[in-house]
Amino acid sequence: MKRKKLLTVLLAGALTLSCMACGGSEGTTSNTDGATDGTATEAADDTAADSTSETGDKLVIWTLSNDLIDFGKRFEEQTGTPVETIVIEPANYPTKVQTALLAGEKEPDIIVGEPKMLEDFYDAGFFADLNEFGAQDYADQIVDYVWEVGQDADGIQRAISYQITPAGIYYRRDIAKEVFGTDDPEEIGKLFADYPTILNTAQELKAAGYRIFSSDAEMNVFSGDSAWVVDGVLNVDQSRIDYMDLCVQLYQGDLTAYANQWSTPWYQAMAGEVPILTADIQNYADDSVNVWDAEQFAEATQGMDTTEVFAFGLPSWGVLTLRDNVKDTSGLWGVCAGPAYGFDGGTYIGISSNSERKDTAWEFVKFCTLNEETADWWIEYSQGDSVSLKSALEKHKDDANEVYGGQKLYEFWLGQAEGIDTSKVTRYDQAIGDAWGNAISAIKTGEKTKDDAIAEFYDVIESTYPDITVNR
Amino acid sequence: MGKKSKNNIKKYNQAGYLFVFPFLVVFLVFSVYPVLRTLYLSFTNAKIAGVGKMDWVWFENYVRVIKDKFFWRSLWNTIRIWVVNIVLQLGLAFLLTIVFSDIKYKMKGLGIFRVIYYLPNLIAATSIAFLFKTLLDWRYGTFNQIINSIYHFFGANYNPIDWLGTATYAGPTIAIIQTWVWFGNSFIMLMAGVQGISTDYFEAAAIDGAGRWTVFGKITLPLLKPILLYVAITSLIGGLQMFDLPFLMADKASAAYPSVQTAVMYLYKFGFETGTTQTGYASAIAYIIFIIILSVSIVQFKVFNKED
Amino acid sequence: MGTGFKIKKAILYILLILLGAVCLLPFLLMLVNATRSGVEIVNSFTLIPSTHLKENWDTVFKFFNLFQGMWNSIKVAVPATLLTAYFSALTAYGLAMYEFKGNKFIFTMILVFMMIPGQLGLIGFYNLCTRLHLVNSYIPLIIPAIAAPGTVFFLRQYVLSVLPPSLVEAARIDGASELYSFHRIVLPIMSPGIATMAIMAFIGNWNNYLLPMIILNKNEKFTLPVMMATLKASTDIQSNQGAIYLAVAISVIPILLVFCFCSKYIISSISAGSVKE
Repeated sequence: MKRKKLLTVLLAGALTLSCMACGGSEGTTSNTDGATDGTATEAADDTAADSTSETGDKLVIWTLSNDLIDFGKRFEEQTGTPVETIVIEPANYPTKVQTALLAGEKEPDIIVGEPKMLEDFYDAGFFADLNEFGAQDYADQIVDYVWEVGQDADGIQRAISYQITPAGIYYRRDIAKEVFGTDDPEEIGKLFADYPTILNTAQELKAAGYRIFSSDAEMNVFSGDSAWVVDGVLNVDQSRIDYMDLCVQLYQGDLTAYANQWSTPWYQAMAGEVPILTADIQNYADDSVNVWDAEQFAEATQGMDTTEVFAFGLPSWGVLTLRDNVKDTSGLWGVCAGPAYGFDGGTYIGISSNSERKDTAWEFVKFCTLNEETADWWIEYSQGDSVSLKSALEKHKDDANEVYGGQKLYEFWLGQAEGIDTSKVTRYDQAIGDAWGNAISAIKTGEKTKDDAIAEFYDVIESTYPDITVNR
Repeated sequence: MGKKSKNNIKKYNQAGYLFVFPFLVVFLVFSVYPVLRTLYLSFTNAKIAGVGKMDWVWFENYVRVIKDKFFWRSLWNTIRIWVVNIVLQLGLAFLLTIVFSDIKYKMKGLGIFRVIYYLPNLIAATSIAFLFKTLLDWRYGTFNQIINSIYHFFGANYNPIDWLGTATYAGPTIAIIQTWVWFGNSFIMLMAGVQGISTDYFEAAAIDGAGRWTVFGKITLPLLKPILLYVAITSLIGGLQMFDLPFLMADKASAAYPSVQTAVMYLYKFGFETGTTQTGYASAIAYIIFIIILSVSIVQFKVFNKED
Repeated sequence: MGTGFKIKKAILYILLILLGAVCLLPFLLMLVNATRSGVEIVNSFTLIPSTHLKENWDTVFKFFNLFQGMWNSIKVAVPATLLTAYFSALTAYGLAMYEFKGNKFIFTMILVFMMIPGQLGLIGFYNLCTRLHLVNSYIPLIIPAIAAPGTVFFLRQYVLSVLPPSLVEAARIDGASELYSFHRIVLPIMSPGIATMAIMAFIGNWNNYLLPMIILNKNEKFTLPVMMATLKASTDIQSNQGAIYLAVAISVIPILLVFCFCSKYIISSISAGSVKE
């Protein structure tokens, strides 16, 4: 009897503990969501202007990155309206907005979204109709693709971004000169013109002791010539396949530095040398070097322990990421076009449909996106973010960015932005992109054959979205 | 269960309501209500609950779960990771129990060792995940750096293993980290069980001149067997709800992800993730997981009662 | 005893200590890395502290005042833990010692609710909080702690194994009220078990992330885990791992302190059932 009691207690303990272990779900790590981050780091705790009375005019902003903290402060300074900005981890942002708005919360007044979230937000009716405030009067002031992304399926304006986010290739001019004899963006762009060419470029760089990219996913922002889903049918175009092949070849050919995007070593590769534990030391086994002789081996592999990375594929807000991480390599960078037009991220600002301060909120949206003076300030303050206001881009097109050896970036970004095809954006991009990423990884690590991996990719899409037709 | 004494206090039994009342109110409001609402949603085609029209679809979602091979794969992943974890965790805890209960060695420091072994249990899963993700980074992590320098010391090559990035290693790696977190807890339980065994047994055995392994095989193991069994089975209930560590440690686009996606992660994908939110379906997944856990528990209680 | 025996014993101790080191190493790494710069952390591995503590500190506190977060966490975790401890004991005793209609049913429900995945009720829970106007308050994080099925289950079994019913009956004969005997007689006897569960509950509350993240909307109300998540979401700080290590280290310290003072309860009460033998 006693024994049974003891057992019961133990059993209860085990149950309780195991329940505690697995009960609450923790947050996601944010590595995959670098989008739109990276601006000035102001103390967040003094942005909350909570002390004002509830009846008075104020604005509550829920955002994904630190940018709007600064916009909010400036708005508060200029208009006297207290602004409270809450930054929420991107992985949990949609959940939080959904739960709050569906429950009818009056605050926040301003909500934001990245393109991949927007369609769901539009459908759910979270964003107020900006046309009611006369948004269409400003249609020609904003870069076209940004304006289009801010519209729902019926063409109603729901959100506007202060940024354009076209993708480019950020490369090291010094390495370019050494290996290719030129650092001219036009010429270097040709080395990235299509996927087979990129592979050649990668091999040339490796032969010279460098690595083309930190990770093999750098070209992801450019991949895909068309949308993942067209008229309810899954659409895998040739450029997706080409991208897949490139990733596999980069990985298997030991052509990258094997630092995952947004991991610490990935950032450090921007500042110069990174250490590598390279698998290709193995190759020396066939040569004259006796790998079992530690000293001789160390000599032979000297200089192989570190490498420098040539390029990063990032949207224009990558300027900010580099700004914070290039350190000694500042001035040695350049930006050129990639194999296609692409874009990623961008914070789209809109008004919560539950807000009771919509007029003030609209003032804020205009202040962030349509105010040339704000745009001037932001360009200077962020040291190189690219705004979506056409007149500001025009005005700053001769601005030279010192990190990039004085290259004039705004003209370049505008040109890239004009090539963007917004019909490629769908609500499915995140999930389908992840599944495609799984397939690529499975192939590159040799876990699956290409056919098997693609077949499984189709299966995943079918089971995730019963409504999408999958034609194999 | 003390039937006799309960008869004596029968007239006081009404007071039981008083004791249970606060619990019951809060329980009904904050636990039962949300869960019943989810039950309702599981019979609808709600995409995001509260948005757009929502139709009653009967068992459509449940049929879809049962036909969804990726749900079953995620359940299989969960069980696989759990099995590796429980074998290691109990094995280690068991070894430690044997060492500390050995009457010949009389090992000291049980108190301090128990505390140290329990420490990993205190850290939040986010922190554990961050720590191990950094330590286990393929080319830059401390762990591979150490292995590499050991290899180098002997003049050999180490072809670094991507512990969290390959399907072969990711599951076991996560299981080992879970073991690291939980073995101290199992150890404390088993040790408590051993201390519950009267020392008479051991002394009698010692007088009979029984060897260590005889004592272990004839006394310790049979007496601990029920505890071991129940620790294993009950941990399965928690194990089937495994979420935090694999969710935080596996990169979504990595080759390892399909092999470490657990059942609750699958539920989370449809419950909360951008672009895949299908609340009705997620609710049905939740209830299927619940039914599976319930069945396991019923089996467990059956076994438990038979043993008596 | 022979030298062979001594050597074996020494080896055993060494192995035990090694295992202890494996458990402590991450804590040590965390502390050491909190003093190193991001570059140093990636380039090499060492247990020798470096000189960048101040720098990391500044990086972290530029974003958030972690001490504010810690204070907020205390404001949530302490009351929630006390409520869990007291009401779970109350409920457990009620379920264990009184036979009333529905007792079995409640107990079964408690068991069943322990098997439901925690994520299941999240949306419904939030809906409820809005209707009760409890969003952005600590109440939804504290009050539900009154109903902790797992703790009640454990304590019910615990009461059954440690409390001799004759004690309560004796009190009744002396004319003590039910609540009086609970507070004066039962609670002290249950205290080791309650302490164990309280420590577990405190750790759980302290580390809780998802619910506070959903419920709290103001920076100055964020609890530590919510702050940490926001911190990690920032690319600026991503590039400086030392800062994240520092933040993690700071967040673990209170838990370590609590545990150091209370560890003996956890162990003694789990063993308590058997000591009665």
